[in-house]
Amino acid sequence: MSEKLFVIGNEAVGWGALMANCDAFFGYPITPQNEIGEWFAREYPVRGKIFFQTTSETSAINMLYGAAACGARVMTGTSSPGWALMQETMSHMVDAELPAVIVLVQRGGPGQGTTRQAQMDYFTATRGGGQGGYKNIVLCPASVQGTHDLVQLAFFLADKYRNPVVVLTDAVIGVTAENLEVKRIDFGSLPAKDWAVRGLDNQPDGQRRLLTCSQGYGPTLTYPTFLSLLTALDRKYEMITEAELRYETHQVDDAELILVAYGYPSRVCHEALEMARDEELKVGLIRLITAWPFPYQVVREKAQKGSKFLVVEDSLGQMVEDVKLGVEGKSEVYFLGTFARHLPTETGLIFPERVVEEIRRIL
Amino acid sequence: MEVKKVTKGEVIIDEGFCTGCGYCVVACKRGCLEITGEKVDARGFSKPVLVEPEKCNACGNCAIVCPSFAIEVYALTAT
Amino acid sequence: MSEITERKLVRDWPKLFQRLGILVACPGCQYGIAARLFCESIEEMSIEGKTVGVAGIGCSSGAMVLIETDWLQTAHGRACDAATAIKRVSRGRLIVFTWQGDGDALAIGTESTVHAAVRGERITVIMINNGNFGTTGGQMAPTTLIGQKTTTTPYGRDLKVEGYPFYAPEYMAAMKGVAYAARGALNTAANCKRTKDHIKRALQKQIDDVGFSYVEILSACPPDWHLTPLECQERIAKEVIPAFPLGEFKNVDCLE
Repeated sequence: MSEKLFVIGNEAVGWGALMANCDAFFGYPITPQNEIGEWFAREYPVRGKIFFQTTSETSAINMLYGAAACGARVMTGTSSPGWALMQETMSHMVDAELPAVIVLVQRGGPGQGTTRQAQMDYFTATRGGGQGGYKNIVLCPASVQGTHDLVQLAFFLADKYRNPVVVLTDAVIGVTAENLEVKRIDFGSLPAKDWAVRGLDNQPDGQRRLLTCSQGYGPTLTYPTFLSLLTALDRKYEMITEAELRYETHQVDDAELILVAYGYPSRVCHEALEMARDEELKVGLIRLITAWPFPYQVVREKAQKGSKFLVVEDSLGQMVEDVKLGVEGKSEVYFLGTFARHLPTETGLIFPERVVEEIRRIL
Repeated sequence: MEVKKVTKGEVIIDEGFCTGCGYCVVACKRGCLEITGEKVDARGFSKPVLVEPEKCNACGNCAIVCPSFAIEVYALTAT
Repeated sequence: MSEITERKLVRDWPKLFQRLGILVACPGCQYGIAARLFCESIEEMSIEGKTVGVAGIGCSSGAMVLIETDWLQTAHGRACDAATAIKRVSRGRLIVFTWQGDGDALAIGTESTVHAAVRGERITVIMINNGNFGTTGGQMAPTTLIGQKTTTTPYGRDLKVEGYPFYAPEYMAAMKGVAYAARGALNTAANCKRTKDHIKRALQKQIDDVGFSYVEILSACPPDWHLTPLECQERIAKEVIPAFPLGEFKNVDCLE
């Protein structure tokens, strides 16, 4: 099935989830992603699937936890303050090795912040914002089509690695309408969810399943010690880093200055790149598709070849730190962030002209 | 000929599980069990003894209230 | 001379029950009795094959290893959220119960527990009430009695500072989505039997798709109450039961 629509990014989330056979959406209202929940409220019950509005984001993530434990594909959508409330159980999902998809439509912070675009949750998304050290797989769409496609990939990766996956967008992508081709993407086959709870009668081997977020606390069948749990998680992260890194490069081969961006600023950087090249400035672009795993190797290679970097990120400096880590001190990293917005109010955006101005200043 | 059936009870307390909490002693309405101090184990638990085995009628109340699952009660039918 | 012709175990262990005793409980703690009664109930009602338990965080979570059905342990307080999701995702085919302590269900878990009750989720909540946060050493909980000493109310729970305890089944009885709300105790064999009846009636409400069901079970906590097990039982009889009366607060076959 392939259908062509003209919808906003938030609605593309729903279409992508439908294509991925997501069975249930549990979520709570918060701007700027309310259209996600409202899409599910309209489209899911009539298809025999579940939409349920919870009493808070904490409740939502815990419902995801329960549904995921049954082996269902399940997701939620939220924005920054709601994301904060989800952190404890995100960590529990990592411990219990449960798959789920969380769409985080970033807005300004800290605090109640703004209800519009920002990229200020990069740290908590990529570093694991809850207790203990862990990683979320983080996918970064930059368009409506990208949102639809990456939501499907998110379900696949969540099931493949038994880990939560965050789809990290922002208010611009969320509420801007673009063309969307709705189609199912086949990422390959996955093993059956033998580990899920489904009642003794429904367990193929008749053995009971015990899923817990206290793995490592007391001896369970899977992980007899705390360190055995951590070893397994460590190995999992290595596998993901090797196999699931995704990014896009544009004209980086001869670039003296490489822009690094994700989300709406990456669209801005595309334009800035064209404008700069028109002025004969040797600029390139790395657009993140996965924020974790992060493309450290590519950044390191380019740094060694002498490229400088300009990170364009609508924050006070989060993703830029990963670029600095990748560069390993071998080149210069410049930053254009929230203070580069065209207005000091919540409606401010980073525009291509501002990026080009910065490029000229550097080169 | 009338055959009279008599039920008596046999209370088996698993020494490994019992912690001498005393719930069974209180639960037995016939006073069959008592913590006499003669059964103290290496963990310091002073465990009950079936002091009046003849009075036991296998009601099973001691097993119901035992929190350590230490007690099994058998009903013995004699004719 | 009488001869013994038959020797029969008066009460056999449930099939799915693991007699782990004090490996998972302090001497005198009674959550294990509740677990046994629950295990007997689901087997007697022949639903053990489609029952999934959701455990909270606390001492009573040991029920996961005592009762060998499928279990999921959740974040502190959130069992009712997870249970709601499991029930819905299974399209009502599973019998879903939670197993929580008083702090788990009624302090941090209030949003989760109260809303499941208010909405009338078809789940069964078993709440083991020992009047404090047991696992962490005996701090005040919503069900700590006024005047009761705990590690965070060393001078006794003060009405002016800590306010009133949470009377959960009484509260739930007023909610339209609740089909069954009861409180039982385990301090006598008779009370154990009544508690088992509560458990079975609660589960039947779920089987019959009537509404939310809740059974609160008073339990001793000898280490944190700083009493011997028998002294705990005296306290339960003389102080706790008068404060938290036993019985069924709501039992309906059909919601409004």
